[in-house]
Amino acid sequence: MTDEMLRAPAEVKYAEELDWLESIDDGPKPFSWRLSPRMVRLFILGSERADGLDREIPQKWFGDRSFVERSIVTLASDRGLLLIGDPGTGKSWLAELLSAAICRNSTLVVQGTAGTTEDHIKYSWNVSMVIAKGQSRESMIPSPIMTAMEQGMIGRFEELTRSTSDVQDALISILSEKYVSIPELDDDNIVFAKPGFSIIATANSRDRGVNDLSSALKRRFNFVRIPVVTNKRSEAEIVRFRTAELMRRHRIELEVPPTLLDILLQSFADLRAAAASATSDDEKLESALSTAEQIGVLEDAILHSQFFGDRTLRAETLAGSLVGSLARRSPEDLAILNKFWHGVIEPRSREDDGAPWQAFLEGGRQALGTLS
Amino acid sequence: MTEIEDTLPGPFGALRSQLLDAAAAFAGEGTGGADPVPGILAGLVEDVDRALREELEIFPVCHHSPASALAMARRLREKRPAVIYLELCEDLRPLLDELRNCRLPVALQAFATELDGFPAEWSPLSVVAPVTEASAEYQAIAYALDTPGVELVLVDRSTDHVFQWQPRDDSPADGGEPAAGGGEPEDGVESETGGEDAALHGDAVGIEIGDLRPRFAELEAHLLHHGKVRHWSEWWDQYVEQPLTGADYDTYRQVMVMIGSLFRRLRPERDARHDRDEDRERYMWTRMREHLAASGADPARCLYVCGAFHAASRVEQFGLRADTPYEITPRTATRWQYGLIPSSHSAIEAQFGLAPGSVSIAAATWAKAVKGGGVTPYRLKGQKGEKPKTVRTRRAPEPGGPVADRLSGFLSRPPAPNGLDEDELLGWCVDIVRLARRNGYLASTADAIAVYETSVLLAGLRGRGRPTPYDFQDAAVTCIEKDTVPGRRDVRRLCEILLGGDRVGQVGYDSLPPLARDVLDRLEPLGLDLTKRTIQRALLDLDASPELRPCSDLLWVLRRLLPDNAVRPIMGSRRLGERPIQESWDLDLGRHQRSIVELGYEGVTIEQVLERRLRRTVADPKATAAVALTAVEDAILYLGGGRIADDLGNRAVELLAAERTVDDAPDVLRRIRRLLAYYRTTQATLPKWCERFVTAGYAHYCTLLPTAFLDEDTGVRQVAAMLGFLFSMESLALSLGCDHSQLELAVRQSHPEAPARIALLWAARSQLGLLPVAELRARYDELLANPLVVPSIPLYLSGFVQALEPVPSLAPVVVEVMSKAFARLPDPVLLPWLPKLITTLRDEAAELVPVLVREAGRMFPASLPAVDAWVPPWSARRPAASVPAPVPASAGAAADLVAAHPAVCDAVAGLLGYDAGWRPAPGGAGHGPVAALLAAHDGTAHAVAALIGRP
Repeated sequence: MTDEMLRAPAEVKYAEELDWLESIDDGPKPFSWRLSPRMVRLFILGSERADGLDREIPQKWFGDRSFVERSIVTLASDRGLLLIGDPGTGKSWLAELLSAAICRNSTLVVQGTAGTTEDHIKYSWNVSMVIAKGQSRESMIPSPIMTAMEQGMIGRFEELTRSTSDVQDALISILSEKYVSIPELDDDNIVFAKPGFSIIATANSRDRGVNDLSSALKRRFNFVRIPVVTNKRSEAEIVRFRTAELMRRHRIELEVPPTLLDILLQSFADLRAAAASATSDDEKLESALSTAEQIGVLEDAILHSQFFGDRTLRAETLAGSLVGSLARRSPEDLAILNKFWHGVIEPRSREDDGAPWQAFLEGGRQALGTLS
Repeated sequence: MTEIEDTLPGPFGALRSQLLDAAAAFAGEGTGGADPVPGILAGLVEDVDRALREELEIFPVCHHSPASALAMARRLREKRPAVIYLELCEDLRPLLDELRNCRLPVALQAFATELDGFPAEWSPLSVVAPVTEASAEYQAIAYALDTPGVELVLVDRSTDHVFQWQPRDDSPADGGEPAAGGGEPEDGVESETGGEDAALHGDAVGIEIGDLRPRFAELEAHLLHHGKVRHWSEWWDQYVEQPLTGADYDTYRQVMVMIGSLFRRLRPERDARHDRDEDRERYMWTRMREHLAASGADPARCLYVCGAFHAASRVEQFGLRADTPYEITPRTATRWQYGLIPSSHSAIEAQFGLAPGSVSIAAATWAKAVKGGGVTPYRLKGQKGEKPKTVRTRRAPEPGGPVADRLSGFLSRPPAPNGLDEDELLGWCVDIVRLARRNGYLASTADAIAVYETSVLLAGLRGRGRPTPYDFQDAAVTCIEKDTVPGRRDVRRLCEILLGGDRVGQVGYDSLPPLARDVLDRLEPLGLDLTKRTIQRALLDLDASPELRPCSDLLWVLRRLLPDNAVRPIMGSRRLGERPIQESWDLDLGRHQRSIVELGYEGVTIEQVLERRLRRTVADPKATAAVALTAVEDAILYLGGGRIADDLGNRAVELLAAERTVDDAPDVLRRIRRLLAYYRTTQATLPKWCERFVTAGYAHYCTLLPTAFLDEDTGVRQVAAMLGFLFSMESLALSLGCDHSQLELAVRQSHPEAPARIALLWAARSQLGLLPVAELRARYDELLANPLVVPSIPLYLSGFVQALEPVPSLAPVVVEVMSKAFARLPDPVLLPWLPKLITTLRDEAAELVPVLVREAGRMFPASLPAVDAWVPPWSARRPAASVPAPVPASAGAAADLVAAHPAVCDAVAGLLGYDAGWRPAPGGAGHGPVAALLAAHDGTAHAVAALIGRP
């Protein structure tokens, strides 16, 4: 089945693993959860020898253990879970893994945008059917959230703060009363949530000002703040993991040399340090320099080498894709990158083990030359 | 590694073989090859066995561990030892008696500024050893000091050795003892230490008893990972602290030694730190043997308290029976000062790399354990702080008899659930919500319920029977914290406050150094409790209550010596010659106790410290005359002048004479003017040094003037200040025997090239009478008329502006040249210069602006209509009608002289704008006795003629 999909949801991709975990799980399970909280944690953070399992479960989300634990516990409690963080910190991925592990369905998603309406959260009507048969449960189109309520699953709300406040507040009654009433119908007009229903919302900490949550809604969510990964080791791990997955998806067999991965991580670390010390927005790259951005750069370079290069990832290509991805504003971003190339990359390439840096320097210069 | 094969007799044989079997099984499925695991496992048991067999009872402790403290209290009550050996710098012993006057936590401090035998850049050296109430060492100290006949002996190396053993290439502040808490910060763990309280220790090197932590990062990371905890403190709390809290003495001892041994055996080989640890062990055992031999104490009645790490020592000197000699190097000649400074939980956490809040949690655990009964802790008599209730001591099982194996049981059982009890957790949930609400969070009872539920769920998920404080903290953060607002306490911090909070210690009055006591005594008339840790406002009406004047003096000295916020004047200032009437101060001495205590290391009274500092400043090889004059000023302001001011002044004279640059000239001029003005108003005669300073300065600046005029590196401002010194001090200098010709020569020898300096020189010459004002004006007009020079006119103007200070009499001319420049210079030349003019005037507003404004005000019309009719004085035609009728010159000697040298009169008349011409005087020149006298002694007349420039 995974072969037919460009990107399979987590529950499909890890179906076999989840089945196996469910078969050995003897811990107490809250509500209608398919796995016990400990197994959910194990599924997401991977297994260790000390867990004494017969097979190895790979780690799927990289970050502090306590975030995962706090998230799982929140879902087992009465409140919704709101994951907050900079773009590219893995909020949605964590949400997907959580819902896949807990209810084997991570597709009950509402995407919050400026155009999201209350219908998207509650229900809407199939107009032609209403004309033909009148309003009934049959002619009603339940939203993903309502479906989750009916089936006792986890509903997801992506980018909660992008939708307007009145739409957000539709969640209040869902989260506290745990039912949705359908006043249009005369009977059977209340949909009650089954045990196991909860909501995972994500919010971008950079957009929080757009439509800030009302205090009433805040009260119904537990907030888990996911920081940008700054630990080099875990970041390398994340980039490696996600790139391998992407390459598998594109069926590319190409090796990412560890030196190049180091160069990429180091450059991002340096750029982040530069951004942290910048005093105005003009001295900062527009990009958030998140881990996802790094994965994007690497993926871009890999695809480039695969289809236009000689199927080996080279430092020049990586530099070109880094410049291409990060230079969004002209001339500000270009100026910053130019400065970075001269001030940081050039000295590095002159050091003893600077051979790959040398190629990286050249590639970046060319890319900058083309863009400016 | 010890040989593994031999069997260990005694109680631990069974455990040892069990461990060896396990290791063998492990090696069987593992990689094979040389396997260190059996060696390590067997070594652990051997270490425990060895430590427990030692004739001198070894009590292994861990720092800030309530379990250690409890075990210590119990053991002391049972054993009642006569001698206690403690792992603490031996030279800190006298300080321990002072602990009873303090509120814990405080830190014992050794401090040295005058180094001998250490690199000078290490200065000042500072070592702190914090003492908390929930620690085993405090129990030992309290027992030993309050029980008659008990001797407390500190056996660790002296603070001097701490630095002796330090590698010479790193500075002591970044090396040394602080625990290896480094490594990369974990993601998302926003550690927020408690701000200023965390900085209570300054940059001292910290030492602690029982530093027990894995010595390499991988092991710690491994333990944290598998323990599913985030911080080392949390791991320790869950896996060692809690299980040991209620354990019996044998279990406690064996487990602690085993953990010490584990960290010892799993440490990287050839670690420099490790060698120091072994040196310390050699030191301690040598000292203990020496003491036993000297005092003849019975080893069975002694107790050796040391870190668990050192209990598992394998040095040759270990044990009373060992006789391997160890030579203790003598201390250096560095003079160490000792004192107590306040400490705090957060300062201890920051110093030793512990998780924020861990010391507070330890204190809470200790309080709970004490309340729960089972042991009555020792406490120094007179100790400040809350007193724990006395509880009836349950008799613990008597441990006497042979050593039994308790390790097997401990290692094979899972830790007994010993978390929070339900009521306590409920109480915390309610309290945290209340606290959060008080701190601006939207928290309600619903949140309290959610926190409770989440804590229980988290504990379940983490495999704990009951939630620990760390689970509670996580739950509170999850449920209550919605957004981070800068300046608002985050929920993690609130939890710390809830769990006992950051306790800040205080050094009691009696334990303060004499200086600090003196300060407090002398500030007593203010009627404030200065030991409080809040800012207090002191109002001093010095006219109404003159007895407060000494307080004000003291406060000003404190202001000079202490960090900025310790004492801050809100109203009032102290300047030369001013007498304050009212002052108000913000005093925050309670929070700056450390600074005052450290001042106490420098002297007995605050005045003495200031005097020493002032003398040190001027004795510094880099000191300049300006610095010395500042010191004189400070001495007058804060110490009342007198002998010290004279000494400093004499030094200023020396420094000035030795100076080769004039960079400080403006500063020197300003200060010496101020000082002269002060002395003239307060004393009948100038102090000798002032006179010497003026004469030396006069000669000095005269000598340097020609080079300063030419030197590109010397600013115009500096040259102007030199001229200012020379002109304004001239009368005084001449009266003291200086020679005016020196100055005149210096000016004549100056041939500057830069326009600004040329203008300055013109001004100087005109002041000396070498250049009439009319000529100066003419030269300037020439410049204005010359199109080639016009672009550089602003530079001349800059020079003229600077000339206002040395030659204030030139002010009308300066106003005139500036007005002309504004009138006639083209904008492209004038406008770029204006900002520079404004900045110059702003920088030197005090000297330049009043003169300029006064003169301009005098010259320009005051009202707007008058401006239209106004003709600048310099361009006004001379009204012919106003020429008065010539006054006939009277005959006589004077008339003869004037007639003989008409040029003088011509010049004066020209200067005054009077041109009536000469008329023959009645009677001729060359007659009379005067003429005869002049003819007979013509030298005088020729000299006068030479002086006025007429041959």
